[in-house]
Parts: sequence; C-alpha cells; structure tokens
Amino acid sequence: MTSAATLPPRVTEEKTANKILGWIALPVGILALLVIGSLLSEQFFTTRNLTNVLINMSIVGIIVVGMTFVFIVRGLADLSVPAMVAIGALLTLSLQPSLGSLVGALVGILAASAAGLINGLFIGYFRLNPVITTLATGTIVLGIAQAAVGGVIVYGDDPALQSFLTGRIILGIPTIVLIFLAVAVGGHLLLSQTIFGRWVYAAGSNPDATKASAVPLNFTKAAAFWMTATLSGFSGVLLALTLQTARPGIGTGYEFDAITAVVVGGVSLLGGFGNVPRAIGGLLLVTLLSNIMVLNGIPTASQGLVMGALIAGAVALDVYLRRRGGAA
Amino acid sequence: MTQNADATVLAMKGITKTFPGVKALADVDLEVRTGEVHAIVGENGAGKSTLMKILAGVHPPDEGSVTIEGEQMWFNSPLEARRQGVGMVYQEINLVPDLTVAENISLGQLPSSAGFVNRLELHRTAARVLKELGTRLDPQEMVGRLSVSQQQLVEIAKVYASQPRIVVFDEPTSSLSEHEAKALFRVIERMRSNGIAIIYISHRLREVLDISDRVTVLRDGRIIDCRSTEGLTPPEMIRLMVGRDLDDVFPKRHVAIGNPVLEVAGLTRLGVFEDISLTVRAGEIVGLAGLVGAGRTEVARALFGLDRYDAGTIRLHDSEVRIRSPKTAVRAGIAYIPEDRKRDGVALSLSVKENISLPVLRQVARLGWLQRGAERRMTQQKAEELYVSPPAIDRKVATFSGGNQQKVVLAKWLASEPTVLILDEPTRGVDVGAKADIHTIIGELAASGVAIIMISSELPEILAVSDRVYVLHEGRLTAELDRSAADEESVMSAATGEAVAA
Repeated sequence: MTSAATLPPRVTEEKTANKILGWIALPVGILALLVIGSLLSEQFFTTRNLTNVLINMSIVGIIVVGMTFVFIVRGLADLSVPAMVAIGALLTLSLQPSLGSLVGALVGILAASAAGLINGLFIGYFRLNPVITTLATGTIVLGIAQAAVGGVIVYGDDPALQSFLTGRIILGIPTIVLIFLAVAVGGHLLLSQTIFGRWVYAAGSNPDATKASAVPLNFTKAAAFWMTATLSGFSGVLLALTLQTARPGIGTGYEFDAITAVVVGGVSLLGGFGNVPRAIGGLLLVTLLSNIMVLNGIPTASQGLVMGALIAGAVALDVYLRRRGGAA
Repeated sequence: MTQNADATVLAMKGITKTFPGVKALADVDLEVRTGEVHAIVGENGAGKSTLMKILAGVHPPDEGSVTIEGEQMWFNSPLEARRQGVGMVYQEINLVPDLTVAENISLGQLPSSAGFVNRLELHRTAARVLKELGTRLDPQEMVGRLSVSQQQLVEIAKVYASQPRIVVFDEPTSSLSEHEAKALFRVIERMRSNGIAIIYISHRLREVLDISDRVTVLRDGRIIDCRSTEGLTPPEMIRLMVGRDLDDVFPKRHVAIGNPVLEVAGLTRLGVFEDISLTVRAGEIVGLAGLVGAGRTEVARALFGLDRYDAGTIRLHDSEVRIRSPKTAVRAGIAYIPEDRKRDGVALSLSVKENISLPVLRQVARLGWLQRGAERRMTQQKAEELYVSPPAIDRKVATFSGGNQQKVVLAKWLASEPTVLILDEPTRGVDVGAKADIHTIIGELAASGVAIIMISSELPEILAVSDRVYVLHEGRLTAELDRSAADEESVMSAATGEAVAA
C-alpha cells in the first residue's frame, strides 16, 4: 500500500456502504413501522386508520414540499408557516359568507403569497437571516390576521366542499390527498427537472460559486421562501375547508412538523442535498410513528421524547454521511 | 546552545503521510544542521507545507521518525512541538492588535507573580529579544499601529523569545517589498549566528539562492535532491522542481494576435484600485503580475461584475458595456476562473455534470425544462476535451483532485464560449501534470481567438506564458512590459513599487 512505485490514487470513491445506507434507511424504517404498528394494534392496518393518516399527512405535506426547497437552498428554515396557515384559513372562512368559499380561498392564498414575497425580498435580496426574518413577518402577519377577525374563532358553512375534500373520489382516495400528491409531484418535477431546481441545489451547495456562475442567487433564495409561504397559505385554506372552523392559532406547530419531516427525510440543513420524495418519506415515517403511539395510548410527553430522539438521530446520520462522503 | 558547526539538529527520516486520495509525502528524509539556513523548494502541492506541518505537530506522520538533537520526538500537538524547540513563522500574522509589542511577544508565557503580570519582566524580555534580533521596535507600541512588515518582526520575536532550536519561515516575504525583505534577512542572519537552525520556504528562487546554505527540492511528495546552494542557478532549480524544462510545463503556442477585444480605461474602485487601463487582443495572453494584495484579483472581480467599480469604462469589441453582475459579464462574453476554487469555483457536493452546465443551463433546456440527454452529451464532451480524469460526469466534484477540480471549473466556463477569459491563479495547488494540461488548454483557447488575462503569483508562469505583462502595485499600474522586456527583475521591481512606470 505504501510502496513508492504506486502512484497516489487521483480520486476517492464514496463508500458504497454509506451510499446504500443513505438510500435504504428511510424505506426500511417505514416498512418496519407498518409491521410494528400492525402487531401492536388491531386498528392500525385498517382502511379507516390509514386513510386518516393520509389526510393528516396531506395538510403538513403541502408545507413540507415548500420547506424542502428552503432547506436545499440553504435557507435554514421558514418559521412564518403558522402565520401563513392562519391567514389562509381565517380569510377563507371570514370571506365565505360574502364572497363564497372559492373566492375566499383565493384571497387567502394571495395574502400568504404576498407575505411570502416580503420574506423573499428580505432574505434573498437584503441577505437578512431567514430565521429572524420569517419569525418577524410571521408575528406581524399573525397580528394583522388576529386584529382583522377580532381574535375569535371563525366558523364556516360549506359542508358540500368539506365532504368533497375528505370524501373518497378515486380508488377510495380522498380529494385532499390527491391535491397533496399533485403538489408533491409538481414540487418534485420543479426541483429535479428544471433550470430553477438546479439553481436551488447549486445555491445551497456553494452560494459564492453559484453567484460567480451567473446564476440569479438572490432570486433563487427569494423564490424558495415565496413558494413556502404560498403553499402554507394553501394548506391553511384546505385545513379551514375541511374543519369549517378556524382560529388565529390554527397553524401553531406546523412549522416544526414540517421541519421534522424534512430532517427525518435526510434533506440536509447544510443545503445542496435532498429531494421531495425523501422529505415526503420522512413525513410518512413521522406520521406513522405518532399514529402508532396514539393508538397505543402512549402519553403526549413520551411522544415528544421519541420525536426528539428521531430528529437528533436523523441529523447525526446526515452529518456522519456527509463526513464519510467527503463533501463536508 | 551552540555546539560544533555541522552538528545535525533536526533529522526527519522516512516520513510518509497519506491524506484521503492523495499521498502527500513518500519516504521523505530531511536533515538540518546547526547554524545553517536550509531552504525547501518545490511547487505548490509538492509537500512542503505538509512536511512542515508534521514538524510543527499539526499532523502526525503515518510512518517515519523525527529526532531533534538525537532525541526521538513524538509530536501530538503544536504546543508540544513548540516546547521541544520548533518555532514557526507563517506568512499570515497571528498577533493581537490591541496589545503592545511586549505583550504579544510574551503572550502564552506571560511572566507573573502571584497571578499578576510582571510588567517589568515583560518589558525586559521584549527589549532583550528585540535587541538581539537587531530591530528597533518600541516594546510599548500597540501592534495594531505597526506596518505589516513590522508586525512580522514581532511575530518573529515572539517565536525567538520561546528559545527555539529550529525556526521555520514559510513564505515570509510574500507580502514584503524588496527593502523590507532585506531587513528580514538581517534578522534571519542574526538568528542563525545565535545557533538556531533555519528552515526557509519561498517561491522566490533568487531569494533562496541569496540566503540559504543548502537546498532540498521536493516534487510530488518525494525528495528530488538536497545540495549546497553554491553554484546553483534559477533555471536549474526550476528544472529540479518541476522535473522537466520550463517550456514543457508552460508550453507557449505562437498565435497570430488580432484586434483589441477588451479595452479598459481608467477603471477605479475607490480605496482598492485606481486608474487601471489595459487592452487585450484576440489570441493574446496578458499577464497581470503583482504582490499579494496589489489589487489583481480585485480588478478581475470588477471586470466580471462580482464587485462594483466607481469609475472608468469597459469596451468590448468596440462598444462600451457596463458590467453590473456576473450575469451581464457572461452575456457580454466574459468568463472568470476564480482564484479561490473552493469558494467561487466549484459546488463540491454537486456532480461534475451539474457543475459544468450551471452557467449555461439555458443551452440544455427547453422552456426551463432540462433536456437530460443534451446536458449529458455537452458536459461529457467538455470534460473529455479538458482531460478531466476520470471523465466520470456523475461523480461528485469533491471526490476529484485539485487539478481535476480546476479542469472542471475551466470546462464550466468554456461551455459558455467566452471571448474574454480571465484566469486568476489557474494552476495554484495543482500538480505538474495537470499544470501542463491546463496550459495546453489555455494555449488552444488563445489560438482559437480568445483574449486572455492571466493572474499568477508564480513569476516563471507569468513570464513563460504572457505576450505582455501588466504589473500592479498597491492598486495602480506600475508597468506594462512586452514579452521581450519582461523578466524576473523588471517585474519584481515594478511589483514592489521600486520602479516608475515605463
């Protein structure tokens, strides 16, 4: 190995074992959970329960798609999600009596989208810290929303739309799940097949080199945050329409659920690596896990402990694989 | 401390060090004697700094031994190496600007009584050390107020105060003028006559010949030769360093030079560079020389739109352009191969393919959708044209050697088919084989009519390749030299500001 006659190798291969580990960890985890869930509870592997899991997943899933872009572009995280969900939900239901559900929904999405533009402007073009910026815009937007509806619960009255969304349309799959799948497929194609998607990866991998390659770096970052806000608003609209009730705190916790899913899916917080299917896989894993815990009556406090350990483990694995892969 | 002359102070034997993917040192022996200045020369990447880092306790060797005055050393940390008498003077200054000269000199071993700093002792030590080194610095002066060369003397005094047996100087003159360098040599001379063994690393060959007693030549991690400096000439040294004649490493193609492509007049960025005017013609390679910090890279960055410029005009193909961003520069046909490859050149976690196509994604896309096949064909072809080895375009750039990463950066920019190419230190940290490849490519580009600006800190490279050389000193042009008039002396004197513009 150290004989002077052999030339030093010019390249180092990524370790195949690590590569495989990075690929199969998630599917294996999901399969294991399906088996464990079935063994622990009879209610688990029923159409009813699994349909509920899917519906629960869909609302967060739409946000996860946006958050994946934010992570890959090295934008850290978007903490304005709860506010965007709330504004989407509140506007939909409070405008419903006068303008109808669909117009209300449209206004709700547009409002969240406008707030997303502000996020994008400050983070992409003025280079402000994303965590602070989204925290600030989120707080402001939520404040405005609260003031507008008077800080109380808004009730809707559109049962037809409600049952359309949660009813089973094709092959027994609820409409809302189909909507989520459409968003996921769209997000996946955007990220993997377009110029913009490539910009997102490049910006997250090395922002300086990306800028020097004549890529509109500011725009790319801004667009990721705009997308996440818009999708969060859309998610809020769907949430309000399925519940037919909304309050200012309706979106609380969605930001962390989305971040958890993305992290568990192995999308790197350091940017430049990951994809939408992985993030959705992470979401599926997390949702199944919490479903199993709920079905088996595990106390909320212990559930938090398990989730926390899962996040820490996923992050540790990400860091480990990056170091081994030579990219760190 | 002084023993009989010729006594071996330091013996490094059979040192081998492998980093992931690269054998940095293979069975290297080095012997340094009391009272000698021992120069180590070699190209970037030859293994000089790895060898010195082993001596300084930064890296442990995989194999081999280090003995100091016959005593076997096991360095596990820089601190331990320092305790054993190894002093290091790096080119970067590591001082605390808000402390005095005396405090900096004794930092880490402050004389104290009952936990309080003994200021009297502190100043006495500093005064003694500074006097022994023959300098006239005031121990009470704040380090932040000193010039770079004075700060370096403080750095040296700090090392000297720890009573080393061996002091390593790593490129100490890279940011000094000739006059300041002379002052440094006097200090080194003092240290040597006080019985300290000196290891001296520099790229300036004339300097090495002037100051050293013996020279060790390293190439590709191996010792090529160790001989007395007497009778050695710069061309001979270069041949030893690169293993072949200069013309083979920097092949110069004869190219018909056409019309001016890029004309820059009065380009100014306040406080950085001023009144830069230069012309580059089709097929011409123009060298931009100067010391570190002279503003070469800054001019290049402004031409490429990475930094703003405050005044001046840029004309391309006879029409004025305003470069606001890399995007406008690319559209105008300018490409820039940056100095800091890891920062501005490649995205390490992306594949070769994804890196090469990044600036020209529109060429391989339809309505924003990437055409996988077209992208694959284009990038594969570029990678092969530029001898990226292996030409595996799906592999992450991080897994390639420095020279091949640099070829990926070149490939990326050639894909945009520029008419003006700015190369900033294109062969820094690249091994000899890749260096020759890169220069062959540059020659081919010039032959195809591209106007080329090349920045390099390696004078032999600038002199061998350039048709004309512009020299910068402190942000101003101090000379424009024709290929026939440019030699090591004329360029260096203009670069240190000791000659007036011709």
